[in-house]
Amino acid sequence: MSQVFHDIEKKILETLQKTPNQTPEQLSKNTELSIDQIRRGIEWLRLKDLALVNESEKITFSLGPNGLDSFKNGLPERKLINMLKDKPKTFEEIRSVLSGAEFNVAIANAKKNAWINIEKSNSDSSVSIKEKPIETPEEKLLSFIGEKTISQEEITNPLAMKILLSRPNYIVQNTEKSKTISLTDAALSLDTSMSSSGAIDVEADVPSVFAARTHPLQDTIDEIREIFVNLGFSEILGNMTQSSFWNFDALFTPQDHPARELQDTFYLEKLESKNPASPSQIKNVSSSHKKNWKYDWTLSESQKMVLRTHTTCVTIKHLAEQKPENARIFSVGRVFRNEKVSYKHLVEFNQIEGIVIGNNTTLRDLMGIQKEFYKKLGLTKIKFWPTFFPYTEPSLQTMVYNEKLGKWIELFGMGIFRPEVTKPLGIDKPVLAWGGGIERIAMLKYELDDVREFYNNNLSWLRST
Amino acid sequence: MPVVELNINRIRKLVSGNATRKQILDVLPFLGLDIESEIGDEIRIEYSPNRPDYSTDYGIATGLQGLLGIKKGIQKTSIKKKGKFAIKVESSVTKVRPYVTGIIATNGKLDDIAIKQLMNMQEDLHFGIGRKRKKSSIGLHDADKISFPLTYTTVSRDHKFIPLNSSTEQSIDEILANTEVGQNYGSVIEDAKNVPIIFDSEENTISFPPIINSALTTVTSKTKNILIEVTSIDKDAAEDMLSVVISILQTAGFEFNELKISGNKNSTPGLKEKIMIYDPKFTSEIIGIEMSLSNMVTCLKKCRLDASVKGKKIKCTIPRYRFDIFSPMDLTEEIALGYGIANIEPKLSPSTTIGQKNDVTIKTKLLSQTAVGLGFLEVMNSSLTSKKVLYEMTKRNSSEIISVLDSKSQEHTILRDSLLPSLLDNLSKNIHESYPQKLFETGVVFSKGKPIHESINLAAVIAYKDTNYSEIKAIMQSLLKTNFKIISQTKTSQNQELFAKGRHADIFVNDNKIGEIGEIDSNILENFRIRTSVAGFEIKLSGLIFD
Repeated sequence: MSQVFHDIEKKILETLQKTPNQTPEQLSKNTELSIDQIRRGIEWLRLKDLALVNESEKITFSLGPNGLDSFKNGLPERKLINMLKDKPKTFEEIRSVLSGAEFNVAIANAKKNAWINIEKSNSDSSVSIKEKPIETPEEKLLSFIGEKTISQEEITNPLAMKILLSRPNYIVQNTEKSKTISLTDAALSLDTSMSSSGAIDVEADVPSVFAARTHPLQDTIDEIREIFVNLGFSEILGNMTQSSFWNFDALFTPQDHPARELQDTFYLEKLESKNPASPSQIKNVSSSHKKNWKYDWTLSESQKMVLRTHTTCVTIKHLAEQKPENARIFSVGRVFRNEKVSYKHLVEFNQIEGIVIGNNTTLRDLMGIQKEFYKKLGLTKIKFWPTFFPYTEPSLQTMVYNEKLGKWIELFGMGIFRPEVTKPLGIDKPVLAWGGGIERIAMLKYELDDVREFYNNNLSWLRST
Repeated sequence: MPVVELNINRIRKLVSGNATRKQILDVLPFLGLDIESEIGDEIRIEYSPNRPDYSTDYGIATGLQGLLGIKKGIQKTSIKKKGKFAIKVESSVTKVRPYVTGIIATNGKLDDIAIKQLMNMQEDLHFGIGRKRKKSSIGLHDADKISFPLTYTTVSRDHKFIPLNSSTEQSIDEILANTEVGQNYGSVIEDAKNVPIIFDSEENTISFPPIINSALTTVTSKTKNILIEVTSIDKDAAEDMLSVVISILQTAGFEFNELKISGNKNSTPGLKEKIMIYDPKFTSEIIGIEMSLSNMVTCLKKCRLDASVKGKKIKCTIPRYRFDIFSPMDLTEEIALGYGIANIEPKLSPSTTIGQKNDVTIKTKLLSQTAVGLGFLEVMNSSLTSKKVLYEMTKRNSSEIISVLDSKSQEHTILRDSLLPSLLDNLSKNIHESYPQKLFETGVVFSKGKPIHESINLAAVIAYKDTNYSEIKAIMQSLLKTNFKIISQTKTSQNQELFAKGRHADIFVNDNKIGEIGEIDSNILENFRIRTSVAGFEIKLSGLIFD
């Protein structure tokens, strides 16, 4: 792997390869970089396992004011001995030379060293030399230090140092923390000139960014819409809220049919459509119901507002109002079912529905359009099975073979509108109708096994799909 | 769609004629039956509610025999007219449940599986053509336990008998209160003082329609002779129901004896076949295949109907239990099924029309593309949402709420009148994802009108710590300006709970208010547990870029 280095890193590496173990200050001096830049560079190199930071503590000693005085004039007890060289002296005589504190220290230490005798009398005590005082280790240490600063390692008699440290203001102890930077073995052999061309680590991981995008389900809807347009279909829109008349009655679903009940259909609270259709439409539809289903059709039942259970109400209304001679029409949008939500059921999903009226309206044409539609979606292994829908006859469903799942899957349903549906609305030609749920196709496309994912709006999914 | 469980070996035996397992499995879908699962010899089949005869293996076997060419045409039912079997209807039933019909099935045998299937079929008939027993309902009884003739009359609610699956006498009121069927279907007889009842000649209670049979006449695998009675508020529906049971019991090997019915507008059922004479030109035009008349006749016979050529027309005889056949269009489907859907070749005719997207779709898409270009991710939410998200958490005014009745999901009870609440809900569910988060949605919102007004809105939100009013305003203005050249202004607006005080505005285009914009109030964000700043807007597209 080719390493990529910042200029700062490069300079630090180069100087450390020449002179190992430098402090940040030394590095700053040698590289002419600011101390901040050095600190940053060291951190980068350390993260790359190229630099090692060795932190150490250095303890040094120098003489304090009392120590310096003793270095020049001798310790207080030495001063005392020097005074007693010729003859013994009284306390009073000594006090005239040594100040109060110095006097006490001098007497105490000389006594401790067994240098002096003290004879007490009534008027004053007399001090005399007991034996010839030799140079003590403390005195040796004082003259060794002198005016210098020495390190801990230079001290040969730690006991003497301990004694001096216990005497106030003799020794000043300094603790100095220091950092030195060294290179790892890998860094020592690096050729930093390699990256002088501005090359970077092209294989390294980079932070993720997310593309803004349209929703995957919307993309599928758009794709399917595009196919319909290519097949010659024009798009119409319709309301999601519909009267029962257009959602059920116009499609030959009897008013007492269980499918119309609350358990499948969302009825809107306290809302009804006063004039769901024209008087003649209402008259003709109701008499078709009475004749074929043999029950008492009521207007009030058809006025109840529902959330559409299919988009067929939109296409049939268009046909009834426009009465086109020759047309290919489609509608796509949300439909609703009052069901428990599960991995395969939603209360609200998208449906597309196409109709053909006029020329070429045989069952074979209907099957041909399906085949072409699925071909454009990349689904070529299809077959048709008979099925039942209340408002088409004959009715078929498309089965599509899914290679991944290894089985046939039911997709769009289709059929020819029953004359019981079209005749009362003044449509006297056969009408092909077909359609189905879009989520089912989108699930195949995005390999989902839980349809709820489309409406969870989970950003991690939307950003990664 | 209803489901029936079948054993493939039983079906093979019923079909006879050496049909293989594979042949049967291959043909089932072409009867309109979906194989839902196949475990060993047990298969689960989905059938259409218009074919209740397919709720038993006897009905399915009859259909399979036709398509496999083993037996074709109608299986004739002969009903012995002589006998002691009769039921007399008293006028008191007129107000509650005026019609009764029935038949005696004799010299047969039902095993436990067949009894179970018959009970399931009974429930299907009750649900479908019976309209949950309201229109008509059916009862099967061991005829050998009954002394004929029967009487169909009414009794008061303190009348007692031992109902099915019980060992103690209960009054009508107790049955309605204590049994499951009583609780489920008691509403059918409403608060009638006197309820329908069938007695035998020794005044034993046989049935309390449409609720429950008596324990006395329970059908078991030892039963040889069966009384089938159907009571109804519609004579035709009653006879339709009866005809389905007859067709099934016939396949099961029973013979039939008439039940004479008299009194009060009731009569012995004719169960006559329906004759349809129709022009086959229509069929060729619908299917798209030129077929000979004799070919069509064969196809109809394969669907267990009878047919013959009458000059240039076809005369078709339809058994009573095929009441799903209304008109020539239904016969066309039968011909297509008899021909075999798999044998019909799809044909692609060139389109004579030019396809076109709707203007609303085109313009909404254009706007979505700009939103994406501005870095916004599209989300899709349900139009049916919850009161909690739409009003409570956002503290929005709920006086014009539009609710649905009896939703099975608490999260889907209210039609949305705004998109922003759902977008906040989306942000709330994504607080662990990286920021900034920028979302938008276009969709239908609902308001009360005549009776409901639907319009298309666009809403967008930005969420991250540094977002603010100016950023979202710049986005909103750019969105409208790109492609649409719409110049919008923002004007100080009245305080609203959704937005932070002093940091929101109304959006105007040419002096018309088209929406609202602002920083979302911190209390609202707290309700959604969003821990960053959010700014958003919502505009009405209907009336702005399309009608």
